[in-house]
Amino acid sequence: MYKLMRNIYGGASNVVTRTTDGACIPFDPDNTDYQAYLKWVAEGNTPLPADTP
Amino acid sequence: MPIVLNGTDGITQADQFNSDSTFGFKNRIINGAMMIDQRNAGASITNDTTNTQFPVDRFGIWGQVASKYTAQQNAGSVTPPAGFTNYLGITSSSAYTPLGANDLYMVAQQIEGFNTADLNWGTANAKTVTLSFWVRSSGLTYPATFGGSLQNSAVNRSYPFAYTISAANTWEQKSITIPGDISGTWVGATNGIGIRVWFALGVGTNYSGTAGAVAGWAGADYRSVTSATNVLATNGATLYITGVQLEVGSTATSFDYRPYTTELQLCQRYFQTYGYGIGSPNEVPLGTGYYFTSVEAIVLAYFSVTMRTKPTYSSATVTNGYRYSRPGASTTINSLPYYGTSSQSIAFFGDINVPVAGSAGNAVVIIAEQPGARVNFSAEL
Repeated sequence: MYKLMRNIYGGASNVVTRTTDGACIPFDPDNTDYQAYLKWVAEGNTPLPADTP
Repeated sequence: MPIVLNGTDGITQADQFNSDSTFGFKNRIINGAMMIDQRNAGASITNDTTNTQFPVDRFGIWGQVASKYTAQQNAGSVTPPAGFTNYLGITSSSAYTPLGANDLYMVAQQIEGFNTADLNWGTANAKTVTLSFWVRSSGLTYPATFGGSLQNSAVNRSYPFAYTISAANTWEQKSITIPGDISGTWVGATNGIGIRVWFALGVGTNYSGTAGAVAGWAGADYRSVTSATNVLATNGATLYITGVQLEVGSTATSFDYRPYTTELQLCQRYFQTYGYGIGSPNEVPLGTGYYFTSVEAIVLAYFSVTMRTKPTYSSATVTNGYRYSRPGASTTINSLPYYGTSSQSIAFFGDINVPVAGSAGNAVVIIAEQPGARVNFSAEL
């Protein structure tokens, strides 16, 4: 399970939190954790929304 | 030791280029002597099924069912082979048999493309390499055949290999020479996976193939050889490994001992950790910054080594583990929130919405103050 992280500079989230261990994963195509997140999304899953300010 | 000097070749020293003292940095494996263990500091870990785990730096473990084995630097405290001080030990936690056809219990290192591109795999100029390593096992019937493989990033080119451990509780050095793959797609000089080097603990039939020494490279996903020993079939069985080296050429040469600092820095391209007790004094400043409002601060920290890519960040949760110290006051919190983006060389910490109010313009330093307080950055392959 993942949860989007609020972008403090505004705009779309560019980091997602892996809820199992709290790891913060940047949206970087070379990051293997991000690749795993994309695969999870491709399997039909949806991350929890980011917190609101 | 013939040394020849002539006007054509200059100085040549035939016969000596595979001797013990030649060619530093020949090993494409990082932490092959299992010296570096930033994550666990030598503690045992039990396999799970969530994410890749690293019992020592750069060597990952995998498995379909949790708690089937443990992995630990210097497990069992046996004497390593001469010249080594560390090894990676795998210990079976149950009698797991039979294996499922799709089971994949393995130890592996994924080598970055920047460090393998010169091998020219996938071309007619592919270079031959030799994989060598020391292994020791117990609890099984010997001699026993074990397996592993080399693969490309897409796991559709495989060279399964077999090796035999002759006797229990005895270190044995193994060497496998692998002709370079002239086919398939191999990642070149990028930060992707250049070569996957697998050591099988228990691999199902769907991922086991005929040894490359017999059948050559296969256009399939093979992680081991057919009928290799299932280390996990016997409770308490062990497989220890160290001195892993992958080098150009058809001969295994002496192990490429690199300075500890150098090996650590090579590992830190993929994982770094900072926190309490790492260095001296135990309380470790993690970064400095400033408040840009009364409740928002930004703190910067620079990595020791530029990481392979933007890393995944995690912070251990420790009661009052981290102190925000600012002029005239300080506050402790239990974990470090991370609201900014990261880069290959800089991490940003924010403290928005946590009770560490200061004044705009205040300087601030974050200190890992309690045992267990640490931040981790992973850019593993």
